Amino acid sequence: MSNKEVKAYPETGWGMPFTHFFDSTIIVDNRARNGRSTKTFIGEGLWQPVADNVTEGDYVFIQFGHNDEVKTKASYTTEEEYVNNLTRYINESRLKKAIPVLITPVARRKFDLLGHIQGTHDVYSNLVREVARKNDVPLIDLDIKSQALLQQLGPETSKLLFNYLDPNEHPNYPEGKKDDTHFSELGARKMAEIVLAEIRNLKLGISNHIYTPVKK
Amino acid sequence: MRLSMSKKTICFIAILLMGFVLPPKKKIKVYLIGDSTMCEYEPKRAPLTGWGMPFRYLFDSSVTIDNRAKGGRSTRTFISENWWQPIADSLQEGDYVLMQFGHNDEAKEKKYKDRYTPVPDYKTNLIKFIRETREKKAYPVIITPVTRMRFDKAGRQMQTHVEYTAACYEIAKQYNVPLIDLDTKSRNLVEQLGPERAKLLFMQLDPGEHPSYPEGQKDNTHFNEYGARRVAELVLTGLREQDIALAERIVKSAMK
Repeated sequence: MSNKEVKAYPETGWGMPFTHFFDSTIIVDNRARNGRSTKTFIGEGLWQPVADNVTEGDYVFIQFGHNDEVKTKASYTTEEEYVNNLTRYINESRLKKAIPVLITPVARRKFDLLGHIQGTHDVYSNLVREVARKNDVPLIDLDIKSQALLQQLGPETSKLLFNYLDPNEHPNYPEGKKDDTHFSELGARKMAEIVLAEIRNLKLGISNHIYTPVKK
Repeated sequence: MRLSMSKKTICFIAILLMGFVLPPKKKIKVYLIGDSTMCEYEPKRAPLTGWGMPFRYLFDSSVTIDNRAKGGRSTRTFISENWWQPIADSLQEGDYVLMQFGHNDEAKEKKYKDRYTPVPDYKTNLIKFIRETREKKAYPVIITPVTRMRFDKAGRQMQTHVEYTAACYEIAKQYNVPLIDLDTKSRNLVEQLGPERAKLLFMQLDPGEHPSYPEGQKDNTHFNEYGARRVAELVLTGLREQDIALAERIVKSAMK
């Protein structure tokens, strides 16, 4: 989701193309950061400025899980903590009359030998769904939707959505890269398009501010 | 105390020497001249992307990429509309001019007669770019026009710029100018991906998929952000293969 530094290009977070989807009344402020879980996003003081600055009518799009669910990572967040942290984001957004939207973690590229896409966030995605239901928060099920897209493209073509680079293809990755988690420009934009389609389906107020080109 | 002084002195001398051995690279400008496949686009036209846009991120801080490419321009209109002269005037010694034209020069249909440039004129215009670049002690590089996506029934990518690519080769040889054969390189890329996957390089959008193109797009000429980057990478490979000194300024990876 995050804005990437130039040195990490062509790795692209889906928040980057998402920025351009709205008219001039909307500012997309992408505060997502690589490597963060719901826990470290709070612990490192990344959440508080958001909570302090949101105002009535703002939206807070919340997508975590990749770094929460991995037990070996320092960012690991237990299921209980994950639920509590998501609930905290929701409550503190609502306290400021802002509108929280929960997003299940976007899929990784993992296929079984038969070419069927495999869920990699099942437990944490379910927790997001539960928190959404319990707190009556709009939910964008990006995990499911992005898995469907990867399945449709299949094991080979879906590589084009991820940061897959041959050696010497891109100077930032001289040895090449096979990343099944982080996106290329194409994957980031496709994921952003899924989120946008769901915003429309949910009829969120912000969908009235999706950019429309002037007819020539 | 004396020891640390002498250490400092040695350090100082060492830094001084390094300064002589590795002078900071002179800052240069790389001008990109060409058409819609290369030019800049405002964010609201995304994902439409000219390959000059991602190209700028492939170099170190000694290089400024100045993308002057303009949509719809042929070599002829690039000159007649006065896009070239300001570049010729501001070129400095050591700068580069990377030229990629052809898509609009070759457009023979009546509706494009404003831009159509017959091959002999195309050559004359390339020679003008080359000559005026060299007059300023800057370096010209010819790039053959990037391919359009057009598969034959057997699933082979077809040549889409035959005469104009041949003209590039001719002029490059005649004037001893480095040439990057982007036409061939991009054709190979498109063919390797095949008819279905190659669409993912181009401005192909379903209706309603992207807010900037509500009715969708089926464009086999212009690139999306991904295709533009892949093409920029091909040009970079060409710079390396042709031993063009600009390749020494390709950014060093800072990724761990």
